[in-house]
Amino acid sequence: METFGLRIIASDKIFYDGRCRKLIIPATDGEKGILAYHENMVIAIAVGIAHMELEEGQWTDVAVGTGFAEIVNNRVTLLVDTAERPEDIDVRRAEEQRERAEEQMRQKQSIQEYYHTQASLARAMNRLKLAQEKKWNL
Amino acid sequence: MANIREIQGRINSVKDTMKITNAMYMISSSKLTQAKKKLSDTEPYFYALQGEISRILRHLPELEHNYFLRREEIPAAERKIASIVVTADKGLAGAYNHNIVKLEEEILAKPGIHRLFIVGEYGRHYFSRRGVEIDTHFQYTVQNPTMHRARDISGVLLEQFEAGELDEIYIVYTRMENSIQSEAEVVKLLPLERSSFNEMKMPLNVHREFIELYPSAESVLDSIVPNYVTGMIYGCLVQAYASEHNARMMAMKSATDSAEELIHDLSIAYNRARQAAITQEITEVCAGARAQQK
Repeated sequence: METFGLRIIASDKIFYDGRCRKLIIPATDGEKGILAYHENMVIAIAVGIAHMELEEGQWTDVAVGTGFAEIVNNRVTLLVDTAERPEDIDVRRAEEQRERAEEQMRQKQSIQEYYHTQASLARAMNRLKLAQEKKWNL
Repeated sequence: MANIREIQGRINSVKDTMKITNAMYMISSSKLTQAKKKLSDTEPYFYALQGEISRILRHLPELEHNYFLRREEIPAAERKIASIVVTADKGLAGAYNHNIVKLEEEILAKPGIHRLFIVGEYGRHYFSRRGVEIDTHFQYTVQNPTMHRARDISGVLLEQFEAGELDEIYIVYTRMENSIQSEAEVVKLLPLERSSFNEMKMPLNVHREFIELYPSAESVLDSIVPNYVTGMIYGCLVQAYASEHNARMMAMKSATDSAEELIHDLSIAYNRARQAAITQEITEVCAGARAQQK
């Protein structure tokens, strides 16, 4: 199967750099799949879970934060603020983050603070979702 | 010739100061290794972000978007200009703070209504004494920069930019050129300018085809630009943090070195004075003995 070059750059590390067979990313209006020789495109990425197939039938899940993907000449660059593997997620910390965000949501806030906590809550839920999925698989 | 006791007192006080500068040197050098690791972790993101944005902007010449609005109808004297100024929390870092302050003074000299968003205690003190309008709710430290803090900062600024309370946003910070050199610089965050990106020294591929934006140019920019601003602020904070400790390390090292030199000179003076005192005593004893013989 054809592959394409994939680089996932998070704000604190280069998360992945290599070949990839299929990639599914969370766009703002739902998931979007990318195969080799995709049309040149820039896609906004929402907080969610990306899946990449590196080897035949081997899918890796990644919790990503907001950012964007750029596809040019069969090379895909994902620039996101965070990217984490399920095993790197600290469930307890994510849980605390969610509780803190929920607590703040209940209080009166300015619109800006509201968006802020909403985004924080989304990230926490996303982490928990990915970590939880893995737990059931065990 | 100075008094022996005076010289000894000076030597002791220089030694005490040297202990402090040496300790600060050690602290800064250990913090610098941390900061450098963070810097090397975030550098690919920082430069890739600038490179990608410039690439996207080059391919969308006809785009009209909120973040591109120059608001040229507003005369220069009434433009509301915000600057994020990244200084250290304390001094004792050589010219680090002065370079930043000097650069910011240049911005302040230009026409417009200036508002300062200051990160770091030193700059806050300096500019509050100078009587410039400072956002007092904007209380962030420069220690250990995190993505969370960068998000907070960009949130405040983007909201004000969108509401039309700010027309231009700059960030003044110190960039690490390499491990020994760093330079204060000003970067315009908003509104986005095509020319400023084209001057980037990034190795960009020459020929690029048309790039489609999905789902629409507007929504892509809506999500990319705030990200870009946050990422830039984070990158700048990390760069500044590393430069600060580098500057402090260098300053403390040269302070320790010159203290050592001073001690060397003083101990020679001390020995001379001691020697002179002994010689004088011997002369006195001899003279006394000879006087008794006669």
